[in-house]
Amino acid sequence: MTGAKDRMREKKMKNQPRNVIYTSSGRGTEGGQGSQACGWVRGHQPGGHSYSQDLPKHITASFFARARAAEVNAMLKAVGKPAGSCHIFNALPKHMRRRAMSHNTKRLPRRLREGAERLAERSQRAPEKEKKQLAKSRSRRARRRHGNLLLEFNRRQRKNKWLETHIWHAKRFHMLKTWSYCLPLKPTAKSFRASYRAMNTHALLQVTLAFVCFVIANEDLSYYCCLELQGSEEQMLRALARLTSKQTGPTFAAASCLSGARQGSVHLYKADQFPQGSLGPADFLWRPRVPDASDRQLWIWIHPALRQDVLSELQLVCQCFEAVSISEESCPAVEPYAGRKRKRDEDDAEQLSKRLLGNGTRPAGTAVRWHSSDTAITISDLTMEIVRYRLIGPLAHTVLTDTLRPASEEMEVTKPSNHSTDEVDTSVHQQQADIFQLLRGVGSTAELPAGCVLGLTVDDPRLTLPQKRGKSVPDLQQSAGSRCVFMQMNQVRILAGPEILSLSHTRSTVSLHQKDSRVRDLTLRGVAAHCSQSTLWDASVRDRVTHNRPSEQELNRMRSELLVPGSRLSAAAQAGVPVLLVHQGGRVRGEERLHWGSGWDLMLPKGWGMAFWVPLVYRGVRVGGLHMSVKASQFTGQPHFPHDYPDCPAGQRFQSEQEAELLEKFKRRPPSKRTNYIKHGCLAPFRCPWQQLTEEWEELVNLSAETTSDCGTGPSDFAVLRSEVPRVGRAPHEAIDCSLSRSAVCHMISRCVCRSLKALRQLSAWCRPSSRRNSFPLTRATAAALRQECGRSLVWVRLRLLGKGQPALHATVCVPTTSDLQLLLKDAHSSGPQEPRHKDHLKHLRRHTSGPEEPACAVRGVWPPPLPSVLSHCSRLTLGWVQQGDFSLAAGHGEALAFISVSGLLHMILQQPQEQRGVVLLRNPSSLQYRYARISIDI
Amino acid sequence: MAEPRSPVSASVPHTPMVLPTPEGPTLEMDPMEYTLRKRLPRKLPKRRNDVYVNMKTDFKAQLARCQKLLDAHREICIHGLGLAINRAINIALQLQTSSQGALQLAANTSTVELIDDLEPEDPDEAGEPLTRTRNNSAIHIKVFYPNP
Repeated sequence: MTGAKDRMREKKMKNQPRNVIYTSSGRGTEGGQGSQACGWVRGHQPGGHSYSQDLPKHITASFFARARAAEVNAMLKAVGKPAGSCHIFNALPKHMRRRAMSHNTKRLPRRLREGAERLAERSQRAPEKEKKQLAKSRSRRARRRHGNLLLEFNRRQRKNKWLETHIWHAKRFHMLKTWSYCLPLKPTAKSFRASYRAMNTHALLQVTLAFVCFVIANEDLSYYCCLELQGSEEQMLRALARLTSKQTGPTFAAASCLSGARQGSVHLYKADQFPQGSLGPADFLWRPRVPDASDRQLWIWIHPALRQDVLSELQLVCQCFEAVSISEESCPAVEPYAGRKRKRDEDDAEQLSKRLLGNGTRPAGTAVRWHSSDTAITISDLTMEIVRYRLIGPLAHTVLTDTLRPASEEMEVTKPSNHSTDEVDTSVHQQQADIFQLLRGVGSTAELPAGCVLGLTVDDPRLTLPQKRGKSVPDLQQSAGSRCVFMQMNQVRILAGPEILSLSHTRSTVSLHQKDSRVRDLTLRGVAAHCSQSTLWDASVRDRVTHNRPSEQELNRMRSELLVPGSRLSAAAQAGVPVLLVHQGGRVRGEERLHWGSGWDLMLPKGWGMAFWVPLVYRGVRVGGLHMSVKASQFTGQPHFPHDYPDCPAGQRFQSEQEAELLEKFKRRPPSKRTNYIKHGCLAPFRCPWQQLTEEWEELVNLSAETTSDCGTGPSDFAVLRSEVPRVGRAPHEAIDCSLSRSAVCHMISRCVCRSLKALRQLSAWCRPSSRRNSFPLTRATAAALRQECGRSLVWVRLRLLGKGQPALHATVCVPTTSDLQLLLKDAHSSGPQEPRHKDHLKHLRRHTSGPEEPACAVRGVWPPPLPSVLSHCSRLTLGWVQQGDFSLAAGHGEALAFISVSGLLHMILQQPQEQRGVVLLRNPSSLQYRYARISIDI
Repeated sequence: MAEPRSPVSASVPHTPMVLPTPEGPTLEMDPMEYTLRKRLPRKLPKRRNDVYVNMKTDFKAQLARCQKLLDAHREICIHGLGLAINRAINIALQLQTSSQGALQLAANTSTVELIDDLEPEDPDEAGEPLTRTRNNSAIHIKVFYPNP
C-alpha cells in the first residue's frame, strides 16, 4: 500500500519545480484529527479547517511575492514551452481529445491549431518521406511510359544485375539479392511437391547466371559466369594443369572432354597448392577443333561467388595481365542495340533508356578481356553474354524437341565468305538436325551418355508457340522404332491371333529398324565431336544474332497480317539462332536412384532469353528457383555451391552470412521461447567449427595410438578411449584452455575436404556393411596409412536414416557406443538412445556479467565464443555435422548430407563389427533424441 | 529383338585397347583401371495397364496395384527384367490363383540390351571412356480375362 502511495506521490511531484517540497508532516497531523482522513482518501478533504491554525495574521506583499517568484517562473516556463507533439494534445482535457485530431487540425480548438499545424509540417518534412513524395509527383501514366520505365529498370539494376527473365520471375517468385544478382528464390505459389514430381517424371526449368544459373523443371542458370580462354591447346593445358589435380578425377585434359564432345567438371585449386587452397567447382567445355584454326577455345562456367578468385588465379597461371580495353573490342555491350531503343523526345535520356542486355551495368572501363603475349592466351569474361537454362527431368528432351525446330536455312546465319565452308556448314547442320530428331525416339533423358554436347541452329521458337499452355508428352506413335517393333512383336506373340496381324501394324519395319539402330548408336556413343560444333562460340555471330532478334511487336504485327489467323508464321530469312545443348548426367555416383535428375542445359546468345523461356514454359515445364536447385542437389547427393564448400573462400563467406542470418532469426524470438541449445548439448547451432573438430579428432587419435602402443593389444583400445572421453567432458574449463592453446598452435594448418578419388574409394568400400570386393581390406595398418594421408580433412557423406527422423541443418553426426549398436541389433526399428539433458552452467555467469561490455555472451541458450571441446561435449563422440538434411521424397525416408572427419570415421569403423559398419547416430540441434543412420560415400 | 550382340564398342574408334571377340564373356581389362557405371535400361512406352515390376518396392504393394488395375482393365501387362523376372511370375501366378481361374496368362520373353559406361580411373589423356553393351532377359506376362 505504502509503496503505491509513494509512487503516486512521486508521480505528482515529477513535474513540479524543484523548490516545491512535499512534506509528509502535514499529513501526519491530519491523520490524527479525523477518522475519515486516515487511510487512502481521494479528492479534496471537506472542511479545510485543519490548515487554519498556522495561517498568519498578515502578509507583506513584497516578501510573499519574492519567496514564490522562482516557483511562479518555473510554472510559467513549463506552461509556455512547447515540448513535443504530445504537449499540444495534452493541453486538452481527456474527454475532449480525439484521435483524428492529429490528421485534421481543424478538429482542434482554434487556440491550439497553430502549434499543431507547425508540428504536422515538420513531420512531413522528414527526409525519407520527402523522397517518397517526390516520386509521387509524377503521374502513374508518366512513370509507366516505356522509356521512363526502362530508365527506372536500368537504375534498379545498377547494384544487382537482373537476369533476362527477371520481370517474368519477379511477378511469380520471391526474389533474392545475392552475389550482385537478383535471383529467383522460390515461387510464391506452393510448388515444392509439384516441382519434385516434375523432376521425377517430367521436366523442371531453371535459369543459370552467365556466371551460373539453373532450371529445375525449368531453371534459369544465366547467373553462372562464363570465362572464355583462347589460345593454343598445349599452352592452355599446361597453364590449367596447375589449377587442378589428377587425384580428384578427370582434369581439363580428359580425353573425352578435350575433343569437345563432352562437358567436364573439375574442382579448382589455387595454383600449385593442391590439397590446400581449394577454390570451388567449375564446369568446362572445349570448342571442337576447327579444321583450319590452331587456337582452341575453352569455356569455364563458374558460380558468381567464385568469379573474382578464379579470374585472378587464371590470370596468374596464364600470365594474362594486359587488359584489352573495351574500346578496342569489336562490340562493346552498349553499341549494337542502338536500333532497338525507342525513339523518345528527350535527347538526354535517350542514351540511358536502352534495354540492358548482358552485363550492361558493368562500370565503363572495366576490362573484360586479358591477353598475354608470352603464352598467347586470351581470357575473356563472358558473364551474362550467354543465357543458360537447365531442364531437369526424364522428359527434358521431349520438351526440347517440341520447342525447338532446326532452322530451315542455315546459310544465312553463318555466312562465311567462301563457298566451300558454306557447304560444310550445311552438311553439319543437316547432321545436327538429324540427331536432334532422333532424340524424339529416346525414352528418357537418362539413356544418353552423360555430358554430351549437341550444337544446333534453330528457328525462333516464338513462331511455333502453342495457343494454349500444355504439357509435352512423348508420342507413342512417333517414338523410336524399337518401341514399335517391340510392341508389335509383343502383341503378335502374346495374342498369336490373326486379327492382330491384320491390324495396320504392317509398317515399313525396315525403316524402323534403321532408325532404331541409329537411336541405339546415339545412346551408345553420344554425339560425335563434329556435331558439337556451333556458331555460338563465335563472338561476332553471337552479336549479330542478338542484334537481329525480331521484337515482340514485329512478331505480333506479322501474326495480325496472317491470312489464316492462328496458322504458323514463316521464319524470316535470317532467323536462325545458334544454340548449344549440353546433357547433364544427374546422379552418376553411388548405386541408388542412378541418373535421377538428368536433363539438358540450353545455351543461347544473350537477348534471346525470353524468346525461349516462354515457349519452354508453354510446354508444361515447371519453373524452379534457387531453393529448388539446392533441393535437387540434395536429391542427387551432390554438394551445392557455395553452401557445402566450407574449405573454399566463397563457402566460408556464405557460412558467416548464414550464421549471422540464423542468429538474427534466433534473436527475434522472445527469450523464453528460444531453444536453449546449451541444455540440448548443441555447441554450434549456427556455424560448424570444422577446424576445431578435425584438430580434436587428430589429437584423440594420436592419444589413443600412444596408449595402444603402450598396452600392446588391440581390443583394449576401445576401453581406453571410452575412459578418456568423460574426463575431458567433465572439465569444461580445462577444455576451453586447451582448445585455446591448440587453436593458437594449429592455426596455420587449415582444414580441407578430401576429394582424392583413391582415398574416397577406400573409405567408400570400408563404410559398407560387408565388403564384397576385398580389394581394400580394412586393417589397422591400411587405416593408419590413409589417416596419415588425409586424416586432417573432412569427407562428404550421405546419411540414410534407418527408421524415423527428419534431419535438420547442422544436426550432429555421432559415433554410436557398443550398447547403441546392440540395441539396434535387438530391435531394428528402435527409435534410438537419448541424450541426457545438459545443465546450463552459464546461466549464473550470464546473470552476473550481463553488462553492456559483453553483448555476445548475452544471447541466452547459445555457447559464448570460446567453445569447449566439441568432440566429447555430448555422451557420444561427435563426428561431424549435417549440411543439408530433410525428408527425401525420392528415397521415402529422411536423408542427410554431411561432412565428417576422416580420422573420426576411420576410428569409428575400426571398432564396429563387420555387419554394422557405417552405422552412426544423428541428433538434431533442438532435440535430445538420437536416430540411427547409415553412412555411404558415393564415388 | 533379333539383333546381333555387340558386347563392346569404344566411344572413339581408334582406341588402343584391343576389343575382344563377341563371344568373350568379359572384357580383357584390369578392373582397377576402370569404374563401371551402369546406365538405366531403356524406358519403354507405358500404357495405363502396364506394370513394370522392380525389386525395391514391397511385393504386396505391387500385387495390390495389379489387382486394382484388373478392376479397371480387362487385361494388364506385367514386365520384369533380370532379377525381377521371378517376382513378375510370382505376381502373375498369385493373381491367377486369387481369381479362382477366371484369369488367364500369356507369357513372353525377350532380351533387353543394357549399356555400361566404363570410366578410366586414371584420368590421363590416354584413357578413353568406353561403353559396352550386355544383354539381360526380360519377361512380359499378359494377364487377361478371356473373351466369353
